[in-house]
Amino acid sequence: MNTLITILFLIFAALILTSAIMTVTVKNIVHAALWLISSFFGVGALYLLMEAEFLGVAQVLIYVGAVSILILFAIMLTRDLEGSQNRQLTPRWWIALIVPAALFGLLIVPTVMTHDWRLPPPPPAGQPPAISGAQQIGTAFMREYFLPFEVAAILLTVAMIGAIVVAFEERERRRRVLTLAERVRLRQRQQQRQQPAPRPEPAATAVQTSEATGGET
Amino acid sequence: MMTEIQTETTEVQTTRGKVYVIDRGQTRLRAGQGLLTGLEVVFRHFRDALTRKLEKPSQQTGVFTVQYPEERLKLPEAFRNFPILLYDDETGQELCTSCFQCQRICPPQVIHMTQARDPATGKPVPAVAEFLIEYDACMSCGLCAEVCPFDAIKMDHEFEYSTDVHGGLTLNKEALNRPISYYEKIAPTFWAEVKDSAMKKLQGNMKRRPDLIGVAPQMVEKIRAKRAEAAAQAPAPAPATTEAAPADKAARLAAARARAAEKAVEAAPEPATDSAPTDKAARLAAIRAANAAKKSEGAAEAAAPATDSAPADKAARLAAIRAANAAKKAAAQRDGSEE
Amino acid sequence: MTDILRSWIGSALPDWLIVLIAYLLVTTIVLFYAVGNFIMMVWAERRVVARMQDRLGPNRVGPAGLLQPIADAVKMFTKEDIVPRNADRWVHLLAPIVALAPVAMMLAVIPWGRGWEPIDLNVALLYMVAVSAVSGVGLMMAGWGSNNKFALLGAMRAVAQLVSYEIPAVTALLTVVILAGGMSLLDLPYMQAGVPIMGATILCGDPAGCSPLLYSTITSFPGSPSEPVQALDLGLGWWVFTPVGLLGFLVFFIAALAEGERTPFDIPEADSEIVAGYMTEYSGMKFATFYIAQYILNFALSALAATAFLGGWQGPGVAALANMGGPWVHVAAALSAFYLLAKIWILFFVMIWLRGAFPRLRVDQLMDFAWKLLLPLALVNIMSASLVVGLTQWTSAQWGGLVNLDGFAPWQRQLIAVLVTAVINIAATYWILSINQRPKQVEWDEEELVVAP
Repeated sequence: MNTLITILFLIFAALILTSAIMTVTVKNIVHAALWLISSFFGVGALYLLMEAEFLGVAQVLIYVGAVSILILFAIMLTRDLEGSQNRQLTPRWWIALIVPAALFGLLIVPTVMTHDWRLPPPPPAGQPPAISGAQQIGTAFMREYFLPFEVAAILLTVAMIGAIVVAFEERERRRRVLTLAERVRLRQRQQQRQQPAPRPEPAATAVQTSEATGGET
Repeated sequence: MMTEIQTETTEVQTTRGKVYVIDRGQTRLRAGQGLLTGLEVVFRHFRDALTRKLEKPSQQTGVFTVQYPEERLKLPEAFRNFPILLYDDETGQELCTSCFQCQRICPPQVIHMTQARDPATGKPVPAVAEFLIEYDACMSCGLCAEVCPFDAIKMDHEFEYSTDVHGGLTLNKEALNRPISYYEKIAPTFWAEVKDSAMKKLQGNMKRRPDLIGVAPQMVEKIRAKRAEAAAQAPAPAPATTEAAPADKAARLAAARARAAEKAVEAAPEPATDSAPTDKAARLAAIRAANAAKKSEGAAEAAAPATDSAPADKAARLAAIRAANAAKKAAAQRDGSEE
Repeated sequence: MTDILRSWIGSALPDWLIVLIAYLLVTTIVLFYAVGNFIMMVWAERRVVARMQDRLGPNRVGPAGLLQPIADAVKMFTKEDIVPRNADRWVHLLAPIVALAPVAMMLAVIPWGRGWEPIDLNVALLYMVAVSAVSGVGLMMAGWGSNNKFALLGAMRAVAQLVSYEIPAVTALLTVVILAGGMSLLDLPYMQAGVPIMGATILCGDPAGCSPLLYSTITSFPGSPSEPVQALDLGLGWWVFTPVGLLGFLVFFIAALAEGERTPFDIPEADSEIVAGYMTEYSGMKFATFYIAQYILNFALSALAATAFLGGWQGPGVAALANMGGPWVHVAAALSAFYLLAKIWILFFVMIWLRGAFPRLRVDQLMDFAWKLLLPLALVNIMSASLVVGLTQWTSAQWGGLVNLDGFAPWQRQLIAVLVTAVINIAATYWILSINQRPKQVEWDEEELVVAP
């Protein structure tokens, strides 16, 4: 069993590393996004291998299913897809190297220093504390980390409302494009108005909205 | 929730024919009800299509597919695909006289024919030697059948000619020939309309066809056998069938013509409707006209209806001219044939 | 499967190889099962739609046209594989694979029968949703890699639709999570034993006098895991029979239609507008791969809907056969697999039925439908589901003394929960439907009208 897991781990690790390197080296920006997706997927698979199912699935759902698709959308909706003029390196490439390296060091050094590197790990005493299950995560969100969870939720709601406010067109400004029949009727009515109309207009409701709103079921 | 929709179909007889009135049910629907109604309609179609076939046009549901190679719709009598040639069932004589009318009118020019000749004299005979139609280029317009004065070419109902051999779609006389009984089967009323005149014309043409010329190729053996049998039973007119001497033939022709003239005289009051400029028709008209003239001398206006609507006087003169022409022609022909 | 293999060849091979072989075997079986169903679905769809349109459908190849899919497959195999000159060759090649693979992965967590579960994943519901979202990447790749405007348009539509209909689908599935108290698909059928509406609430009074053919040990009430009880088990305690389950099922099924790109939500491949959407530039087996992916996605979504709301493999007789023990357990498993298959096919028939009946929606109608109708309904349903759990499981202390149901029998509490949620759901449905009604025709002032240039 351990052999199998080791082999799988190596495969996924190779996938993640290759994809990550390809993401930053490939010229075509859409290809870069696709390599990034592949990298995300490998990370999700690693989580699954560590039996952190919820984390793995959430990784796939959020990063592969949502974030990367948003990235792809954004790339495809911008000009210059091929990126032929895009330079791979800018003059300040060393800043881009140092900052991630520092961050990575910040993350990895304490782990390396504090981790107990005895292999294989000592058998856990009694029931191992399950930390990765959906139930545990849910309980943690609702008990220990309730405040951060709610704050994040409110932040997201505010962001959504803001997006709606930005995107919302006020009703008065909304232009309505008339159908052909409506234009004809409008012209008729305008002509009628110009002439002295002897009798009252036959249909006051002649010009109406015929726009089919989608809410009907 | 789901409303039962009345989809009664009623048949209403109007002055211009039958009309099917379909009640579409209520038109005002609440939210979502239209969707459910649509589902119900579709399900009814599904259920009925599993159990029954569409038979009447007033039925709205049921399978309407005709599974073509096994099931076929009855073709209407006026359906036309490609032309065929007709021959008489009994005598095997083809109706075609190779008058070239169809060849001339054919828009895509796919009809080709050669006239039959008497092998002894080399003179043309009112029969066709070979007849070709290129079905691959035929446009099924039916003009050939329209124009044929002898009702020899008709439009067939057969339409399954798809093949991968292009040349196989050029059909010769043998492939084009169909017995009259076949055409009578596929188009009974059409044949009934033209049957009498067509057969009469065929009788006339047969007399001018020596030997087996004009007999449909597939019937030749049969007819020959029949004639041999007839000859064995009655040995008297033996030489006539095998080797027709020109003099002999002329004599027979003359006799036949005389008989026809007699017959025509007897049948004179019948209106002269045939206006085709064929030899035979002209002669017939002449004889009839002469007869009419004779009658008009005797019994004043009595024979007036015989010549359609023309005044009797003029008709009489016309008839006289025609009779003279006919006589001259007959004399010339007799001279020619005797020589 | 692993255990069987171990007992057969355990001595000859290392353990990890046996596990690998076992997984490969299970994968093969499930994939064959799915592809066999795909073949039958193609045939059934064509035949059934034909009958709905008063036609016969394919009926020439084989008896009743059953071999038609095979003829189609032969045609697909022999067709030329065309790649557009300016297409992104590798993306174009990988797109159908990326579209099909996640769909095939969805099949891994579905319990196909009692005891016939490929993998026990405790986040199976989320896994199904997550993995089905990945196929959107494949569609995007197809649309972009084809270098064709119709393909790109179709891919954009497909992904937009996929992303927005995931929300009502997931929200509707959340009711199941609340009811089950977990995200595992394996437990769901076990929880849907019992009797309609009341679920596993008609308890066995006298443990000795209850026939094992009628009563069985049911793990939990609908609600949260509790002590196993002896209860009347007809295998019909499906959640679709409760108000919460019914509304959740309707919302989820409609959202699944949109995710599976079935009519009336087949906007991404609207043939009359954008040729074939993201599949425009595909031919031969690559096209067939998309086709398979689509049908297997529908198959998997139907299986998910059946498992989550229609009791999965649960049905009358399964528990009784399983209780008889011995070889009857395998018969029970076969029967349960048949039940699940029957439910999947009924759902698929409904999909065909909808296809036969309804025209395609516009994009704005599609979005209105998701955001203004399905999502509010699903949210209300979550509240109802929480109420069900509270009313059936909580003590008065948990209610904070607001509701005291401690003295009631399980079936009484269940009945109260059903009635309360029925009132809430029906009222909410009517209300949301009515505010979504097309507004009464508004009279426009002429000054407001702007004639299009």
